[in-house]
Amino acid sequence: MYWKYVAKRALYGALMYVLMIFTYSVLFNSVAEKVLRAQIDEAAAQEVKKIKNVSQDELALMLEARREAKYAQYHLDEPLAARIFWRAVGTIDFHFGNSSIIKASNGDRAVIGIIGEALPNTVLLFTTEVVITVALGVALGLHAARRPNGPLDRTTSMLTMITNGLPSWWLGMILLMYAAYTARIFPSGGLHSNPVPTGFASFADLMWHLALPLITLVFLGVWTTAYVTRNIVLANLQEDFVMAARARGIPERRVLFGHTLRTSMPAIMTIAVLSLFASIAGNIIIEGVFGWPGIGNLYFIAVEQNDVPVLMSTLAIETLLTMVGFVILDLIYGFLDPRIKVGGRA
Amino acid sequence: MRLGDGLENLAEFWRDFSKEKTGLAGLALLGIFILFGLFGRLLVPFPDALRHWRDISYWEDNPQAAPPAWTNAFRAKKGVASSILRAPKVTDQKQDDGSSIRTFAFSYDYEYDAPPRDVILEFTGSGQVPIKIEAQRPDGLWAELYADQIDFGGTSAERVSLARNSAEQVIGFVRDQDAAIGASLNEEFVKPVSILFSRIAPGMGVAPTALKGRYGFSLSAYLADPANKIEKPRFIVSGDVSGALGTDSSKRDIWTGLVFGIRWALIIGLLTSIVTVMVGMILGVVAAYFGGVLDWLLSRLFEFIYLLPVLPFLIVVSAIYKPTIWTFIVIICLFFWSGVFKPVYSMALQIKEETFVEASRALGSGRWRIVFRHIMPILLPYGFANMALSIPAIIVYEASVSLLGLGDATIVTWGQILHDAFIQGAVINNIWWWVVPPGLMIALMGMSFAFLGSALDKILHPKLKTR
Repeated sequence: MYWKYVAKRALYGALMYVLMIFTYSVLFNSVAEKVLRAQIDEAAAQEVKKIKNVSQDELALMLEARREAKYAQYHLDEPLAARIFWRAVGTIDFHFGNSSIIKASNGDRAVIGIIGEALPNTVLLFTTEVVITVALGVALGLHAARRPNGPLDRTTSMLTMITNGLPSWWLGMILLMYAAYTARIFPSGGLHSNPVPTGFASFADLMWHLALPLITLVFLGVWTTAYVTRNIVLANLQEDFVMAARARGIPERRVLFGHTLRTSMPAIMTIAVLSLFASIAGNIIIEGVFGWPGIGNLYFIAVEQNDVPVLMSTLAIETLLTMVGFVILDLIYGFLDPRIKVGGRA
Repeated sequence: MRLGDGLENLAEFWRDFSKEKTGLAGLALLGIFILFGLFGRLLVPFPDALRHWRDISYWEDNPQAAPPAWTNAFRAKKGVASSILRAPKVTDQKQDDGSSIRTFAFSYDYEYDAPPRDVILEFTGSGQVPIKIEAQRPDGLWAELYADQIDFGGTSAERVSLARNSAEQVIGFVRDQDAAIGASLNEEFVKPVSILFSRIAPGMGVAPTALKGRYGFSLSAYLADPANKIEKPRFIVSGDVSGALGTDSSKRDIWTGLVFGIRWALIIGLLTSIVTVMVGMILGVVAAYFGGVLDWLLSRLFEFIYLLPVLPFLIVVSAIYKPTIWTFIVIICLFFWSGVFKPVYSMALQIKEETFVEASRALGSGRWRIVFRHIMPILLPYGFANMALSIPAIIVYEASVSLLGLGDATIVTWGQILHDAFIQGAVINNIWWWVVPPGLMIALMGMSFAFLGSALDKILHPKLKTR
């Protein structure tokens, strides 16, 4: 029964993913084709230039033939719907192809390689951030829930509201201005010093560069996590089983950390899992401000340079990760709550 | 719901709301923002800035990247506050041959420790007019600063910058007082404005001491015949500090920019909240109450929108289609109705089964009547609480897109001010007055909505107050 649910959910997720890729394909169609045509024209002109001992007319014909062949190869001679279809299919089956402008550090143009180069950097910064934020935030939230309206609770909810509308990149700019350019405690951005030190010093250097963006993100993220945790835990504290536990004379600490935390865990896990998956997509602006060469930065360069293959692949990977996150969460819920998988309502 | 009931509900709601300090603070903040948004023009030194924000010549009187005027309070050496004098004393000296000499006298109180960056006299006129600019210093000495014949061609104003034009004359003035000191000054390196505002003493070219007191500047023009004119003289002191919040490196007044930014932040915030709450509520209730195919379709649409990554999507759409602020708001609305949809949907599912709905149905009410008259009014506050909490994010989204240089270039928003600051190196050059205030405004605007939202949320979910 559960496997049937798993299959249904996975299939459904896959369908949604395909639908989204098609949306992107429609959206980028005009720009993508403009770029692609320009590339083909240039490539064809280059090829024909090398040919010697032919008349001008023949040359023009060859150029035309070359172009036609390339257009056919990339489905550019087909009607609009078909072109959109082929681009979507190419993205869905992970044939990301070659980028139009952006290159990997070894000069390679395969989109997969370019993304593969940026991904570890993003994971290093943002996944670390999510782990720290969730750990700190949940701990803070639990403590805030112990005494609602106490000093810690008030501070947390106040800071949540303040940081809620605070752009993280702005805080990053302020910290950069102070800590990197005025006080000169931290580097002004990037992944490594130049030249890159070797051995353990290299690791220390990386950590030193990681510190400022990490502090910015954790400082802003932790309050919201704490506040949400607090709300989840407090809502659970209203349940009858908590009253029963208290009536049995179980100490308050154990009621909170034993009984309530256990029932609150699925909701807290949801936040953690979703943030973890989202973290892999990076943050376009934070990466830009700190010169961090991750996925977000790559995405923005792709937008600026109209590099549609890179753009679409990054978006596709991002969407895929979010989708996988949702499917996994649904599967966990289905496993924990039998009502969901049979289609009943909780 | 009759009107009386509505008013009573509202009064009851206000009783609850007025107990929430954060909610009141949010409301007060929002009220201040709305007042500034409406009457901002009256509170800024450059009321036409909205049309001229990207017009370099509009801002040419300001000093470049000058800190706010109040920073003088924290400085040992007080810098000159930029100012413009517009009302000189005019005297006319008629000659027998029909010509006349018109003199504009400006009086300027100099009470600072550092000299101005520049002193500029600006005027318009017509014909060929010989002019002379002189200054009377607090020590009683007169210095001739500039003498030339101005040939007014078009309508553009003539600007005489003393820093650029008066080195020779100022050195001559010092030489007349003390030949040795005058000889020590080099025309290539000397700053004429600095000499003019300093005591005449050895070493004044290197380490001048300020001569404080009242300076008189006079602009006299010889008008050979009545057709020749000289008008609208302005005396511009370009200082080290300027205005309430300083200037940026394009000489724009940051305070003015911030005040005009309020408008757009408010429009974005209020418009998106109203539209998304309405759309989200109607769709949520309809999906829950009607069920069936409609429910299925709307729920799938919700999931689709929910899964789209907002910022990357906004950025790429902005980059390709270069939208105006209005299209931006439409796109935001397309995304954010989903935030209202889900909670409303699940609550409407419960309300649908309540007895009063059943009773209404038994009395023969239509489906739309039940949706709009019975279910929606109950859910409206929840919708708004939900929305108020997501407005900060929307304002940040606009700022983020603007920061990347993809905003609407015909308006002034805080994100665009920050974009200019970041691009033009405010972070590297520690021009904090260009970076800190716009971000604080974004945060404050976000806070006012967040406060309101959380107060509503607390009133609607009273359980979370205690354990």
